[in-house]
Amino acid sequence: MIQIKNVSKWYGDFQVLRDVNEEVKQGQTVVVCGPSGSGKSTLLRCINGLEPFQHGEIIVDGVSVSDPATNLYRLRTEIGMVFQRFELYPHMTALQNITLAPMKVRKKSRREAADHAMKLLERVGIPEKAHEHPANLSGGQQQRVAIARSLAMEPKIMMFDEPTSALDPEMIKEVLDVMVDLSTGGMTMIVVTHEMGFAREVAEEIIFMDEGSIIERGTDISFFQNPKSPRTKDFLDKILM
Amino acid sequence: MLSYDFDWSVLWKHPYGRWMLEGIWTTITLSSLAFLIAVTLGLMVGVFRVLPNRITRLIGGSYVELIRNTPYLVQLFFWYFGLPSLLPQASEKWIYDHVPSLPYWTGVVCLGVYTASRVGEQIRAGMISIPTDQYQAAFSTGLTTYQTYRYVIIPYAIRIIIPPFTTEFLTCFKNSALTMTIGVLETTGASYLIDSYTWHGLETTTAASVVYIVITLCVVLLMAWVERRIHIPGMIARGR
Ligand SMILES: Nc1ncnc2c1ncn2[C@@H]1O[C@H](COP(=O)(O)OP(=O)(O)OP(=O)(O)O)[C@@H](O)[C@H]1O
Ligand SMILES: [Mg+2]
Repeated sequence: MIQIKNVSKWYGDFQVLRDVNEEVKQGQTVVVCGPSGSGKSTLLRCINGLEPFQHGEIIVDGVSVSDPATNLYRLRTEIGMVFQRFELYPHMTALQNITLAPMKVRKKSRREAADHAMKLLERVGIPEKAHEHPANLSGGQQQRVAIARSLAMEPKIMMFDEPTSALDPEMIKEVLDVMVDLSTGGMTMIVVTHEMGFAREVAEEIIFMDEGSIIERGTDISFFQNPKSPRTKDFLDKILM
Repeated sequence: MLSYDFDWSVLWKHPYGRWMLEGIWTTITLSSLAFLIAVTLGLMVGVFRVLPNRITRLIGGSYVELIRNTPYLVQLFFWYFGLPSLLPQASEKWIYDHVPSLPYWTGVVCLGVYTASRVGEQIRAGMISIPTDQYQAAFSTGLTTYQTYRYVIIPYAIRIIIPPFTTEFLTCFKNSALTMTIGVLETTGASYLIDSYTWHGLETTTAASVVYIVITLCVVLLMAWVERRIHIPGMIARGR
């Protein structure tokens, strides 16, 4: 579903990504972790073409992201993205947040878009909040609306960039539950997170990034028990405490 | 007992009443036209200052620093008395003699250019307060750049910018009074002129003050209504 081949990226002289290689198969969930500044967010942004990269290739569902002929707007409709700070549109209700793209991009009727949005709100467990503005929702509720907004485009892939790190502990679970549900339901997912419980439960692969490179990868639990590099061990000790 | 004889009739007696009304009309049109320039130019300056381009940022930044850090009155004199003296003497005289309503249009341009530096700063502040992730969230759902600005960024930015815009308009409106120093007969100028004929400055300046207060209140009420109409539930209004 996603092939990342020898991708390198620079911001001026500063190299953010160093020869990154990764493959995500259909239906898989890959968890990405690593210290701050290691390039995790940048990697996600390269996958849906929000950031250009200078070297290498990324193929999403058979389409090359860096090919100038690729319609990036179209490509992005296939890839949902969820942000750390939710990024709901503050001047719209939850329902309007969800229906905007289906109406403007997919040209669905308001009625059709709203019906689908209500189903998604039920799926994330907050249908009663449809007409609330984001500022009136808790962090956990906002993040669930944000997930529903991404799902409304019926993407083939979902990317999450630290979706729970801005949340109070009691709200983390309600968001993770939705994500576990998606993962077991067969969605292809790339999740940047330090929630190792989540990683253990659903990840087919866990990769560890440092200074722009993937320095460790493992399937499930082995990753935690015998990390190969001291850097990884150090980091895992900190987040698993 | 005060020896001052109040005579409010100077406000409507011929020809003073007409002067007063013309003054009010001049104040309204002059400050509105100036604000129109301020918004257009300010939008450019504000956008220039946030673009990822060193040259536009330098232009925008210099403009703001130059205009904001010199007194508005000096700028008014510069535009009206200073600039034309660069011209050959014959054409300078011709301009003062033949360009109709020269003080008025100089006032419009000068006030517009001055207010633009302030408006530009407000626009810049509004734009940089929208996080880049907000743009990216919109793009990630497949919206085009145009759609992102049209449905997400601009409606959001307008709500951030309206309260400071109201303040800037009112400042512009009151600053228009200074154009009397280059001979514009706006509300303040008219009240001063009537005083010089009638010696009833107390009445005329009181009337001028009332005019400013009434118009200011109307604008404030109108903008409060607009703000209520577009208020985002749950979001606390930003202070002025
Ligand atoms: N637009 C930019 N211009 C220059 N440098 C940037 C830019 N965006 C990110 N960087 C730098 O690139 C590096 C990687 O950033 P990135 O946001 O991908 O890290 P991250 O792994 O997501 O970190 P975090 O855990 O803090 O979110 C950082 O050192 C950051 O300072
Ligand atoms: Mg990040």
